[in-house]
Amino acid sequence: MNEPRKDEAWIERATALLDDSAKNLDASTLSRLNRARQAALAQPRQATRRWMLGAGFAAASACALVLAFGLQHRWHASVAPSHEAAAQADDVDLLNADDDTLDLYENLDFYAWLDAHGGGTSG
Amino acid sequence: MLAKTCLMTAFDEDRATDAPTREGAGAIERFLRQVERRALRMAELATGSRDEALDLVQDAMFGFVRHYGARPGAEWPPLFWRVLDSRLNDWHRRQRVRGRWWVWSGEKNDDEGEDLIAAAPDVREPGPLARLADGEASIALDGALHDLPMRQRQAFLLRMWEGLDVAQTAAAMRCSEGSVKTHLSRALANLRRSLGEHL
Repeated sequence: MNEPRKDEAWIERATALLDDSAKNLDASTLSRLNRARQAALAQPRQATRRWMLGAGFAAASACALVLAFGLQHRWHASVAPSHEAAAQADDVDLLNADDDTLDLYENLDFYAWLDAHGGGTSG
Repeated sequence: MLAKTCLMTAFDEDRATDAPTREGAGAIERFLRQVERRALRMAELATGSRDEALDLVQDAMFGFVRHYGARPGAEWPPLFWRVLDSRLNDWHRRQRVRGRWWVWSGEKNDDEGEDLIAAAPDVREPGPLARLADGEASIALDGALHDLPMRQRQAFLLRMWEGLDVAQTAAAMRCSEGSVKTHLSRALANLRRSLGEHL
């Protein structure tokens, strides 16, 4: 019956001793604790700066990628002729063509079929 | 453009979640000030070394601020002790591995040129602090706590000294409430036996 009360007494004494030991830490230890605390608290702002640096790199990469795509597209547009230009070139060719060439143009479907069925090679 | 928009949104969200953290920096500092000395003593009782204890407490502070700094202040105590408990567990694991390696290698570490076990601080050895505190009783208590199995020591210190309730202690120690009660009951029995007439 007295056991819990007895426990209570020595536990109280033990926690009081522990409190004393925590209260009476030396100056050097307290200074190190203070530095550790300040460093831990300064941490989120450093993390934000790191995040911003990462975001900057990501944004720069995205811009570079968009620029590269844009330049590539423009280059293709300038090198590859448009359908209209190709049609105009065909018209000029037709004006200068001889009879065989005109025949080829007139029966283009046929020659294509022939080529597909291997008829052209057999003579 | 889309990439830029996404990045700006993410940046705004980060600022929004970071703002209360900055506002609450004072509250976190006050909280850390309240617990840091007890945390140091707890780590010291576990490791037997002031330097190791300081490193572990610093690590715990970093982890706590990084992961839980933005949480409501009421949740901080069990979370802080949970982080410290985790660091202490890691430290014990590393010590066990190191101990196994020493046994396996079967030789003295010649590089050190001294017996590391003999050189390890003895918590029973009275330091100036212990002499100032309460003499024999304090030394005996430190020794008895140091000799307890880690889980028992943590249960005793968190429940009896730090004043966490059973649920908070269980959260800090990442175990069930039943385990906390078992560890605590064994700790009390062991301490009662080893302290005897000292307290």
